This record gives sequence, structure tokens and C-alpha cells, in this order.
Amino acid sequence: MIEAVDPVILQETALDVGEFKLVPALTVAAMLILFLGVGYFFRVAAVDELWVAGRSIGSIENGMAIGANWMSAASYLGVASLVALSGYFGLAYVVGWTTGYFILLIFLAAQFRRFGKYTAPDFVGDRFYSDWARGIAAFTTLAIAFTYAIGQASGMGLMAQYIFGISYEMGVILLMGVTIAYVALSGMLGTTKNMAIQYVILIIAFTLGLYAVGWSQGYSTVLPYLEFGSEVSAAAAIETQFVEPFAAAGYYGWIALAFSLIVGTCGLPHVLVRFYTVENERTARWSTVWGLFFICLLYWGTAAYAAFGGLLYNEEVTEGGGFATGDGEMLGIEADALVVLTTQLADLPEWLVGLVAAGAVAAALATTAGLFITASSAAAHDIYTNLYKDNATQREQMIVGRATILGIGALVTLIGLNPPALIGELVAMAFAIAGSIFFPVFFLGLWWENTTKEGAIAGMLAGIVLSFGAILNDTAIPMYTGVEEAVFPTVATWLPGTSSALLGVPIVFSVIIVVSVLTDEPPEDVKRLVRQCHSPEPMQQMESAEDIATDGGLEDGAADGGSATDVADRPTDDDTDSEPETEE
Amino acid sequence: MSDNTSQDTEHAAETDGGVKTEAYLDKEINIFKPATPFMRDHLRVIWLSFVAWIVVVFGPTTAILFAPEFMTETTVLGGFPLHFFLAAIVTPLGALLLSVGYAMQRDRLDTKYGISHEEAAESDGTVAADGGEP
Repeated sequence: MIEAVDPVILQETALDVGEFKLVPALTVAAMLILFLGVGYFFRVAAVDELWVAGRSIGSIENGMAIGANWMSAASYLGVASLVALSGYFGLAYVVGWTTGYFILLIFLAAQFRRFGKYTAPDFVGDRFYSDWARGIAAFTTLAIAFTYAIGQASGMGLMAQYIFGISYEMGVILLMGVTIAYVALSGMLGTTKNMAIQYVILIIAFTLGLYAVGWSQGYSTVLPYLEFGSEVSAAAAIETQFVEPFAAAGYYGWIALAFSLIVGTCGLPHVLVRFYTVENERTARWSTVWGLFFICLLYWGTAAYAAFGGLLYNEEVTEGGGFATGDGEMLGIEADALVVLTTQLADLPEWLVGLVAAGAVAAALATTAGLFITASSAAAHDIYTNLYKDNATQREQMIVGRATILGIGALVTLIGLNPPALIGELVAMAFAIAGSIFFPVFFLGLWWENTTKEGAIAGMLAGIVLSFGAILNDTAIPMYTGVEEAVFPTVATWLPGTSSALLGVPIVFSVIIVVSVLTDEPPEDVKRLVRQCHSPEPMQQMESAEDIATDGGLEDGAADGGSATDVADRPTDDDTDSEPETEE
Repeated sequence: MSDNTSQDTEHAAETDGGVKTEAYLDKEINIFKPATPFMRDHLRVIWLSFVAWIVVVFGPTTAILFAPEFMTETTVLGGFPLHFFLAAIVTPLGALLLSVGYAMQRDRLDTKYGISHEEAAESDGTVAADGGEP
């Protein structure tokens, strides 16, 4: 199901590359200057602000940030491409990448807000009272950020080809450089503000392109999402696999993929950190709802782009020869640029095509920023400070965090020069990793207080073997040995690299439960911590579950956190203050 | 329902805030064994909406197995095959509506249990979290 794509070179392609385009280039430049300006304006020094934005973000703004954080090049460019090439199978990406937010909302979002630490490894380390668990989680976070970001680098390279007329490789290097610079400069507060802006830019660009294509081609008028029915039939008449349910993969493949993307959504560290940045748990819930709404606005349009793009490609490029199969079919590189290609083939003005391309850059950049932030906090906070040097100063942490961003950025750029799969597939692999390794420990950690550290560690190791093994088997090893086939074809059928979580999650759940039953119960204070995550009692802005579970509820307000509220409602016993959380 | 605190006599000496937090810190968390009225109510909402979500998300594709002709040959809105339309448009919309429904139900539970997330929460004299339920 996954084919290694040929090395991306500047080849003859339907996308108009190889020529510098002034207006689109200015659009991207203006956008990048805006991001850097906002990042600079909101630059931060305190650790709390770098990672959780002082827990001050409201629900709509956070919803937009969730949307921008979420909608990477994979959503913006990759999904339309997958639907065009794989038809109904591609819709598993639409379903998986939208509906997972519901599971996150009902099972995890508010509880995570109540837990109130900085990062995903922090959660794992504290909940499972183990530095080993923390270390494994930090490693996983880095692996996810790395895999996920390769797809973004690839998308940036494609767009730079169109906009600047430079080579794909130069494009990857240039735009990744900008991303690295601005993340290192601004941190999370800057990126949260930026993400809201990025969301607005990317959704306007995407939607405007869709409306313009539909209108100029006579496909649709006011609501293209409901009007592309006849284009779907037309596309199906050209390529039957466009609507044939199980042409690209069977029922199992479809369900496995959708399931992996859903649980991956719930296990992604850079998604979870968005719940740490809000004021309170109610905001965490409603921002998830807003986030899903903002995400749906884009996803409803992806299948329309696929149908429009397929028809136009068939007319303009292959002249009736089809779009997904046959002579002159879309290559991986063209498919991944399909959204932009569609607007170009519809003969829209260059500035508009450039705007759509700029939106893709914004999408890739926003997500990469979120990924790099989580990766840097995993390295600085969870590995350096917690495992290596307990008394690390804030300054040291900032240095380690920024060094991580530079290091991982360089590595992603390198692999992005010759990515092993389509953008959407690369990102799906990151989801399979997150779903297999993190989702079970997050879920059981919050909903079953008897989950032990031994259980969590065994479960995460099992998840690592399953998800990494699946990727090595059908993508990484074939790609780097030049063999077409997976190492173990049967394994690739049941455990594809993009969808390993359907088998992985139940196995990891069982491992965790069995090992937890066999080992000693967690200590009482950890159980109290879990209970506090489910208490209906409101918590104050800067509080984490740990503060309350250990001192019975009184904490006299961290430096700036709404202290007027809580003192009244918590009667108190001991008042030993927990550590102040900000230094301002 | 805010005045029915009769079951709470053993905690009467404490003010309500403490009762809530303390009570919750003593009750086991197990998703299949809700130990408090609030958890029971909350989990009822969670499980019901979870089942609805499964139907919305995996229903259409599973239905293709059982009624392939009906799902692929029925067309809606000027040409969409039914299965394509359901997966591309209706399923994401369904998840969104379920999310709104869940968040509203959860807000309703907050009201029922006298929980406020406002900064200036007036919490004196509101209901105890573990009273209230028959």
C-alpha cells in the first residue's frame, strides 16, 4: 500500500515550476515577516511562558491554534492528494483526522488540563512515578515530531518550487530555516498567537481557492461542499476506483487506517500541550469543540478539491487519459501539490494560486512550530532537567531547548530532501506511533488508577516494537535497500506502517493491564493525583492536580494566577506552599 | 436540587468545598466502576455519546459490507454515491455535532453539581458534590 516515491527532483510536472513569481513570493515573504514579527513581539523568557503560554489562552483562540497546529501540509495538501489517488480509501484520512477529536474531548481533554503539567513526557513521568517512563515518553515525543515534520518539510519544498522557482531541495532548506528561526525566537506564547493568525490565513487561502475553482469552472456556487456530487460522478466515470469502496485497500485497511489516525490524534504530544495552555477545563472542552469546527471547515473541502483537481487534470494534462492511473497519471509529487495544481489548472490568476500556495506554507509552518516546541521541551525539560541535571537553571533549559530545535530541524531538513513516502502517509506514520505508544498509557493512566509504572513501561516498549517495526518493515527498509516489497508482506498486510494502531492499541492495552495486575499497586499519592483529575471541583488557573492532591487543596496562588477566586472556596488545613510556577 | 444535603451529615462540620475535594480524593478511579454520583452521571454521557460516535464513524464503511449496492449506487445531492458523501461530509459533521452535544451536557452537569469555572466563583452554600443524587 505504501510505495516509496522516487527521489524528488525538478522534473517535468504539470505544476508550473522553475520560474520566480513575484506576487506569490511577496505574499509568502509578507506572511513570514508577520509571523516573525508576532513571534518577536511575544518573545518570552520564562519557562512557563515558553511552554504553556502562562495558561492564559481562551477557547476560540485556542480552538484556532488547535486547528492551525493540526492542519499541516498533510491536511492542506496531502488529503486531497490521497483522495484523488486512492478514492474512497483516501476518505479514511478525512474521517480519521476529524473524528478523533471527539475521543480526545470526551476521554482526555479536561483531565489533561487538570493534570496541568508541561509536556506529555511530564505526564507520563509523574503519573507513572518513573524516570524510565519519562525517558521513553521523551524519546517517543522526539520520534513523533521527527517523523511528522518530514512530511511538512516535503510540503514546504513543493510549495517553494512553485512560488520561488527554486529547486525542491533549496525550498526545503529555505523554509525550514525560517521555521527554525522563528520557533527558537518566540516559543509557545508567540506560536499560540501566531497559530491563530496562521489558521486564518490557511483557511482563507484554502477556501478561496476552492470557491474560485468551483465558480470559474461552473462546478459549484455558494456551498461547494454539497455541490460537487456531479463532479464525483464524472471523476468516477473516468476512474472507477475514485468511488469504488475497497479498490485501494480492503475493509480491514480502511478501518485500520481510520482507527490509527483517531487514536493517534489522542496521543500526539503537540496536540495535548494545547490543553495545557488554556485557562481552565471548561475552556479545554470548548476549545476542542471550536478546534474541531475549524478543522472541519478545511476537511469538508478536501474531497471537493480531489474531484475538481482530478477532472481538471484529466482535461488539461492527460486530455482524457485519466488522473490516477494510466499514462501521464499524477506522480507523487504532483498529487501532493494537487490543491495548488487545481487552482493553476483552473486558470486562476497567479496571485490567487500563490495565495493558496502560501496557505500551504502557513499550514506546514504552524504544525512544524508546534512539533518543535514539544520536541524541545521533551529534550530540555524531560531529558535534560529531569533525568540528567535536576537543578538546571532556566537559562540552561532554554539553551538545551533551542539546541534541540536546531538539531532536529537540521535532521528533518536532511531527510526531507528525499522523503520516503507521500506527505499524508508520512504523517500517518507519526500518528500510528502516537496511537500505539501514547494513547494506551494516557487513557489508562487517567481512567484506571491501578495502572502501574511497570505496566506503562512494558506497554510503551510493546508499542515501540509494533509501530516502529511496522514502519521499518514496509517503508524504511524497502526504501533504503531499493527493494519494492515489504520485508514480511504478511505483516505489512495486517500491520501497515500507517495503520499499525488497530492491532497495536489492543495489544498494548492488554500488556499494560496484565503487567499492572501482576505488579504492586501504585502509591497512594499517585492514586490521589488521578482522582484529582476527575474531581468536579474547579481548579485555579495555575494549579496542577499535584498541588491539590498533595496539600488537600490549598495553594496560595502562584504569582499571577487569579488568586482572588480560590481562597474563598477551599477550607484549609495545611498551607505549605508548593513551588511558585512562574518567575516574573 | 441544591438543598438536598441530608446524606451529608457526617461531613456537616466541614464546608462544602472541602467535602468535594476530599471525597473525590478517596474514591477509586476506574472507568467501569464510577464511584461517585458525578462520575456516574458523567460516564453515562460519555458512553452514550461514544456509542453514537462509533456508529457515525465506522457505520457507513461497515454498511458497505452488508449492502454494497445500496451504499454505492444510491446517489444523493446530484451525483454523490451515498457512501462517498457519508464519509466525506456527514461523518466529520456528525463528530462535530456530537462534540457540541457532549460539551453542552457536561456544562449541564456542572450546573447540576453547582460547579462554576468563572473566576469570581461564588461557591459558598452550593451543593455538595456527593449529595444530591438519590
